[in-house]
Formats: sequence, C-alpha cells, structure tokens
Amino acid sequence: MMILAKLALGTASTLMIAGVYTFREGTVRVDVDEHRAGGAHVHVWAPAAIVPMALHFVPDDKICEAAEHANEWAPLARIAARELRKYPNTTFVEVEDGEDHVRVSTVGTKIQVDVTNPNENVHVTVPLAMVEDVIAQIAARQPAS
Amino acid sequence: MSILSNRLTRRPASIALAGTVLLAPISLLAPALHAQEVTVTSSSSSTSERWLHVRVIDTNHKGETVRVNVPLEMAEKVLPAINKDRLHSGKVRINDTEMNGVDLKTLLDAVRSSKDGEYVTVQGSDNDVRVAKQAGYMIVHVTEKGFRSDKSDKAADKSEKSYERSRVDVKIPMKVVEALLSAGKDELDLVAALRALSAHGGDTELVSVKSDDSTVRVWLDSKNVSD
Repeated sequence: MMILAKLALGTASTLMIAGVYTFREGTVRVDVDEHRAGGAHVHVWAPAAIVPMALHFVPDDKICEAAEHANEWAPLARIAARELRKYPNTTFVEVEDGEDHVRVSTVGTKIQVDVTNPNENVHVTVPLAMVEDVIAQIAARQPAS
Repeated sequence: MSILSNRLTRRPASIALAGTVLLAPISLLAPALHAQEVTVTSSSSSTSERWLHVRVIDTNHKGETVRVNVPLEMAEKVLPAINKDRLHSGKVRINDTEMNGVDLKTLLDAVRSSKDGEYVTVQGSDNDVRVAKQAGYMIVHVTEKGFRSDKSDKAADKSEKSYERSRVDVKIPMKVVEALLSAGKDELDLVAALRALSAHGGDTELVSVKSDDSTVRVWLDSKNVSD
C-alpha cells in the first residue's frame, strides 16, 4: 500500500513539476472567431515551452530553408523581441478604420496582436521570450557559410 | 506525538518529496512573479524614457486613425538591424537624382553653420513657405492656399476668397540636424539623430500637418501613450 502511495506521489510530483515548468514560459494563445453562419471558431492555448522543444524535431533541411528566409528579418526580430520586453503593457501601434481595429501591444512580457472587424476577431498572444528562443534556435542550426 | 515524530524521522525521503511537490510551483513560478514585479516597477519608473509619437487622423471616408508610440531607446537599437534598400546600419543613403538636383546635405549644413534668422520666405498665390533657424531649432512652415467662391460678395458672384487648405509645421532641434549630418558623404545618420532626440529635453512637437481631410502630428515626450 505504501509503495503504491509513494509511486502515486512520485508520479503526481513529476507531472506537477513538468506542468509548472511547461507553463512557466507562458502560453501561446490564438483566438479566431468568424462572425458568419458556419464561421470558424479557433481557440488554441499552447504552452510556449513546447514550441522551442518541438523545433528540435524539425529536420535540419527544413530549418535551413526557414533560416534562409529568416536571414533578413531574424536579427531585427530578435532585437525587437528583446527590447519589447522592457516595455510591458504598452500599445505600440493602433489603427482604427471605421469598424476595423488593429492593435499591436505588449501585455506583460507577451506581444499581443488584436484585429477586430465586423467579419472576424483575431487575437494572437505570444511570449517574447519564446520568439527569442525560436529565432536563436533557427540561427544556431544554420550551417556555417 | 512520539509516534508522529518517529514516523517523520523514518520517512525523510517521502517528506522531502511531498515538500518538493508543494514548493515546486512556488519556486518555479518565482522568476515569473519576480519578472512581473520588475515589469510593474519599470513601467512606473519609466518617466525618463523618451517616446516618439505619430498620430494620423484621416477625416475622409470612415475616419481612419493611426497611432504609433515608439520608445526612442528601442528605435535606436532596432534601426541598425534593418538593412533594406537604402537603409543600412542605421544610416540612409541619399540619392542625388531623387532629390531633383538639390544637395540636401549641403543645404542642411549651410543652415547648421549659419546664424539665427529667416532663410527662405516665399509668399506665392498657392503657397507660403518659410524656413528659419531660431533658438536652436530649424523651423519650416508651408501653407497651401485654396480658393472658394465668396457667396457673401453680392456685387461679384464669381469672386473667390483664399483660405488655408493645408498647413505644415516642422520644428527640428539643430542638434538633431547636426547628428543627421554626422554620417559620411551621401548618407544621413538616423541613429545619431535618434540619440540627439533622446537627449533633447522637454516635450517637442516635431511635425504638424493640418489639412481639410487629415491631421498628422509627430511629437516627442515622456509618456508611453498618445494623448
């Protein structure tokens, strides 16, 4: 009986630590709601930590291909992500055009893009640390030229 | 009580594991909580930050409004990372052919090295232009005139009265102009200009455009939100 209890405690603690570690980096959140009959409603909440982890399983040739495309903007994105973390809860760009509304802001240490219009609402929230991790990983796996 | 203490001393591993389970969320989340704390502090203490704001209001159609708020410190770091077309390492190349033969650098350099005064004053039928250097600022005013029939003039139905169709006001600190010119030939140093803007104290309205259908304002202050 005690062995079972110890096993349960071990499993529970492992799961809890894994869960807390996974969500420690924050979550990537994507919400898409189309305001039409039969419109899509997509709501994805994923722990940010799994994205850099998942990148390890992407084949090298695919990473190299992505790196080629990313060469131009990757340094900019990395610096921007690092700098944006210094400005939490700030709206950087806001565009209102009649019923269309676009906003790019930081919420804590995440970047949030909100697009709302009569046809659809799109909200994307991504932890800036994750953006940095992903760009760094892609750069690290790029073959030396 | 003694039974309990005996059990506790006999099962240190189980207790340690249980303690770890209980404390794990706190210890693992501590950096995140600390980060939140730091961010709140930094947000409230960021009054010395210099922010560049751009606001465009288009009164035509559906009334489009664009607001951009950029911390100068961030712009200084991000700009050198953009290497596209004429922009490289925080500097922009000036193409003589696109300037219609006007040597912008020489022109700005002439204004920089001259004394305060009014350099250009044009009062035309369509436009009024004024370029001046005053109290450490380069000032440019351009007024575009429009004409509309004056209905109150009963004597002559076809008479037209001029009105201010659009007005452009530019006020740039001379230190910023100097910083812009600090790059090599045929180049303007944008990062140096941003640094000069950062160092420029007080709230400054840099560009203001007012026309029938739109308003543009570019200004500098210490707030992270537009008014």
